[in-house]
Amino acid sequence: MTQPVSPPRGADKVTPVSEPPAWRALAFRADVRTLSLLGVLAVLILIGGVTRPDEFLDTRNLQLVLTQASVIGVVTVGMTFVITSGGIDLSVGAIVALSSVWATTVATQEFGFAGILFTAVIVGVGCGLVNGLLIAYGGIVPFIATLAMLASARGLALQITDGSTQVVTVDSILGLGERDAYVLGIPPLVLVFAFVTITGWLVLNRTTFGRRTVAVGGNAEAARLAGIDVRRQRLYLYLLSGLCCGIAAFLLIVLSGSGQNTNGNLYELDAIAAAIIGGTMLSGGRGTITGSVLGVLIFTTITNLFALNNLQTDVQQIAKGAIIVAAVLVQRRTANTT
Amino acid sequence: MPQFTSRRGLLFGTAAVSAGALLTGCTSNESDDDPAAAEQTAADDKPGKAVTIGFAGPQADHGWLNAINQNAKSRAERYEDVTLEITEGSNDTAQQIGQIETLINKKVDVLVVLPADGKALTQVGLKAMRAGIPVVNLDRIFNSPQAYRCWIGGDNYGMGLSAGHYIGEQLKDKGNARVVELAGLDNLELTKQRTKGFDDALKNYPNIEKVARQAAEFTVESGQAKMAQLLQAQSNFDALWNHDDDQGVGALRAIEQAGRDDFLMVGGAGALSAFQAIKKDDGVLKATVLYPPTMAASAIDLARALGQGKGVGGLAEFEIPSSLTLYSAVVDKDNVDQYMPTGFK
Amino acid sequence: MAPEPPLLTMSGITKSFPGVRALDGVDLDVQAGEVHCLLGQNGAGKSTLIKVLAGAHQPDDGTITWQGEPVTLKSPIAAMRLGIATIYQELDLVEGLSVAENVHLGHEPTAAGFVVRGKASRASTAALLKRLGHPEVDPARLVGDLSAAQRQIVSMARALSHDVRLIVMDEPSAALDPDEVDNLFRIVGDLTAAGVAVVYISHRLEEIRRIGDRVTVLKDGRAVAGGLPAKSTPTRDVVALMTGRNVEYVFPDRPLAPAAGTTPVLQVRGLARDGEFEAFDLEVRPGEIVGLAGLVGSGRSEILETIYGARKPSAGQVSVDGRTLRPGSVRAAVRAGLGLAPEERKAQALLMLESVTRNVSVSSMSRFARVGWIDRGAEFRAARAATRELSLRPDNPAVPVRTLSGGNQQKAVLARWLLRGCRVLLLDEPTRGVDVGARAELYAVVRRLADEGLAVLLVSSEVPEVLGLADRVLVLREGRVVHTAPARELDEHRVLDLVLEGSPVASAGSPTGSGGPATGAGRPATRADRSATGSDRSATGSDRPVAGEGSQAS
Repeated sequence: MTQPVSPPRGADKVTPVSEPPAWRALAFRADVRTLSLLGVLAVLILIGGVTRPDEFLDTRNLQLVLTQASVIGVVTVGMTFVITSGGIDLSVGAIVALSSVWATTVATQEFGFAGILFTAVIVGVGCGLVNGLLIAYGGIVPFIATLAMLASARGLALQITDGSTQVVTVDSILGLGERDAYVLGIPPLVLVFAFVTITGWLVLNRTTFGRRTVAVGGNAEAARLAGIDVRRQRLYLYLLSGLCCGIAAFLLIVLSGSGQNTNGNLYELDAIAAAIIGGTMLSGGRGTITGSVLGVLIFTTITNLFALNNLQTDVQQIAKGAIIVAAVLVQRRTANTT
Repeated sequence: MPQFTSRRGLLFGTAAVSAGALLTGCTSNESDDDPAAAEQTAADDKPGKAVTIGFAGPQADHGWLNAINQNAKSRAERYEDVTLEITEGSNDTAQQIGQIETLINKKVDVLVVLPADGKALTQVGLKAMRAGIPVVNLDRIFNSPQAYRCWIGGDNYGMGLSAGHYIGEQLKDKGNARVVELAGLDNLELTKQRTKGFDDALKNYPNIEKVARQAAEFTVESGQAKMAQLLQAQSNFDALWNHDDDQGVGALRAIEQAGRDDFLMVGGAGALSAFQAIKKDDGVLKATVLYPPTMAASAIDLARALGQGKGVGGLAEFEIPSSLTLYSAVVDKDNVDQYMPTGFK
Repeated sequence: MAPEPPLLTMSGITKSFPGVRALDGVDLDVQAGEVHCLLGQNGAGKSTLIKVLAGAHQPDDGTITWQGEPVTLKSPIAAMRLGIATIYQELDLVEGLSVAENVHLGHEPTAAGFVVRGKASRASTAALLKRLGHPEVDPARLVGDLSAAQRQIVSMARALSHDVRLIVMDEPSAALDPDEVDNLFRIVGDLTAAGVAVVYISHRLEEIRRIGDRVTVLKDGRAVAGGLPAKSTPTRDVVALMTGRNVEYVFPDRPLAPAAGTTPVLQVRGLARDGEFEAFDLEVRPGEIVGLAGLVGSGRSEILETIYGARKPSAGQVSVDGRTLRPGSVRAAVRAGLGLAPEERKAQALLMLESVTRNVSVSSMSRFARVGWIDRGAEFRAARAATRELSLRPDNPAVPVRTLSGGNQQKAVLARWLLRGCRVLLLDEPTRGVDVGARAELYAVVRRLADEGLAVLLVSSEVPEVLGLADRVLVLREGRVVHTAPARELDEHRVLDLVLEGSPVASAGSPTGSGGPATGAGRPATRADRSATGSDRSATGSDRPVAGEGSQAS
């Protein structure tokens, strides 16, 4: 009985589908956005190359920058989804802290590599589940629900550690962060980051999940009336963010060889800033994984540049603020003129 | 985090306080100043007048602060005549003020206060003193000397000095030696003081140049991140001073990951993990300079002496001093066993 | 009537919104001390005209003369400075501020740059309230705590707190009880006696006869009559002026044999929602278009959305092909073959940042997806096939949907359901914001879809649309079906009569409006009228797009 679309009737001749011109125009506009970010990155690399040519333009430094970007990068991919859906997740840093702490207790460490990985991911997903349930079915606005999670997760992390640093003694974990573990010169952390990024890009741009995310963010009421289960989608989105936090926590454990309740400090702001600089709209409805990852790389490169040039915290902070504004302005300008 | 301002013995007995102290001072036989206080026999084992000590500290969200609470508690348990009223730690100024006021209302005999923010809590210190309750101000100092009977705390400038001198002596014979500093949270005054002490000490060694300084945030994560960058920035240097052993865990991780072992490292504060590494002596960490959490145990001793009207053993004075700045000792392989029990996690 | 020059003259005022010419050379003159009434159906341009007068809209063309001087009203503040105050239907008060603060909002008494709070402001407010006959309203109370009538008084006090020469009142009586209306008229009398002019907008001819001096009738953005004597012009003439139309839509022919024999695809039994509508029964067969006519507030949109599962019913059930749907579940409805083209297209249907393709495919994504992976080629082809079927322009579904005209946006929504293969189409105000030319096309599309076997349920505030397009019409009044008949057996006057039942405009022919068929005019009529004026639409059906009246303009 159901009658899907009937073949085009009338005189309209069916031309074979090729990408229509307008499609390309849209793709090009997105590219301009990305190009402007790449431009900012290029300028930073130029500055690094001029000021500290030996240290900056060095394979080891590339490995370093990418490694340092991995943890916050994975968090940002999750955050991009949430923001695209019109939400916000303020609890990412706290979830990273809790996951990293829970996964490095003496009891967990007895289960070795798998135990630590499993715990980190499960705790992240669990926190995301709570966020998602509160927001999707409890009707609490994301800002408040995740703010509450921020406080609770940090508190729980503190309770578990009692303020002390939990040093990891599992060699297989520690080994993953060392040079011996590099695959063709690529640190395993960076591989994970790349995997999460590519998966995130595909999911957002090529799957029904991604479409629903964009639809919910663009117009939740329209999405609902179009037959999308908006609440379930929201639940999944915060779960996804929690999952990313769990993965990030694992990376952080590998990187720092420890779990501490202060981990993930202000990740929420870094991740939001990177996503916004990348071109994801804070009001929802438009998100770009490519942009977010470029945003993260820009931030990490800035930090790297500062350290290599031995700039102190005060100068760093001033310059960072200025660069954020500059990056957004450049991006807006280029996006508008096209 | 440790104290904000260093008051290096600048305090005089302006605190015209008689309240808690009896006029006739009994000399106590406390042999003080051993940082391994937990192992030390308590001041005056003979039970004296019963003393109730109120203790208010910040939230123990850092290993050092947790150690402060532990030191205070275990020290108080050693004395039969001491009852410790300990509040839940809080970083919220208003909440801490409320907690201290509750202790005042309970009429404890002596207060030991480690303020979340020394300046902001000065008023409540004054209030306690006016109410006749002597205050032992721990580490983070109040604005006014009238707000406490006795201040006891660590020496941030002294930490820098000790670290600088230790490194200076190690590199004495090396020409054009290069030194790197991994500082703590730059927003805090104590970080500036540590750096100043370090720089001042290095001035004594013209062959040494400090080539780089980056600030981390007292966390493992930031220690790893900043150290990794420093290592990339400085392909060779001879010594590293790291302000804080907690962030040092991350710094050591970064050093390990970079596969570097061409320099010596000095830590700060005195964490157990640092002591263990020094004892093992298989890495770059050779020493650490103390910011001892045992000061909390000493504060309990001082409070008890105040409550019982005694002085400090080993000194000719009838009264306890109005200010005690603790020495920032260097712990290296030779004396690490002695300090091991005081190391915090 | 006017020996002295008019206080206000507006001449040739023209204002267009995308797709709609809301005002087309309107003339209006107002004398000091008179009550000048504006009459017209919804969409006739009244709201736009008073927004021009208030400085909220800038006219495209035309001149405004104030006390003999040509002026431009660049902003609401500029209008206020001249002495023109407007009391809108949707009162623009700040609920979180006190009465006194609201009254002085924007021109707070200051001393040395600081806002003076307290006594002086409260005293002057109290004096104003007393003058308005409501001394019981405490100037210190929060506006949020006041009743609707009290708020209106506050709004009026705010207008009077300026040095005002002309007050525009947009349906001021809509929210008032009869007693309060009397008080309102007393205030209006006081004002005009003091030389202040009042521009009074109302649907109630009865009121206009009581207090009005002259009447200007608007229709289709033109003033079809200006300065008629309010008390002596026969009601029949006024109604004729308001309803006589010159644009006739082309409606597609109905099939000769209505699909009577077939089994209904949509069945609604005893559907109800507390306070909105009750015991609603309906059957729609494949190929049939059923129209719901009624005022805003009669429950038409609510019924549609409840059938669709977007609202949860308090009783009753909806079934498709004899299978009962889970109540309150849009997904269940969509799965069963229902599709909704909602009233607020931009807010409720479209993803404005997205392409037409994605807007069309959003309800059928999984058809182009394998394990969640979307085949974008197939998606694009299907979307294009669906939009071509509806002749959506431009013929490129890759363009952003926001670049489309209103009519084509509506087609994109229809294409969504066409692609989904839906069996029952629910249309809520399908031609809202659609310009005249595109309407006929849209009607043809809807009829064709029905001919192809779709069941269509149509809601419209435009009675001619319902009558022209539907096979069968249900007339709603206050949440109840008052009449059901084949569309061809009804005409506009009959429907309006049923819809309004006793309100003065409908009972044309009785000069005072009190001798009509429903003499119990007091309560029910007031309520019907109130709901009619709720959003300035649809009191008597309209032949102009509503968009120009403000919803789109903002």
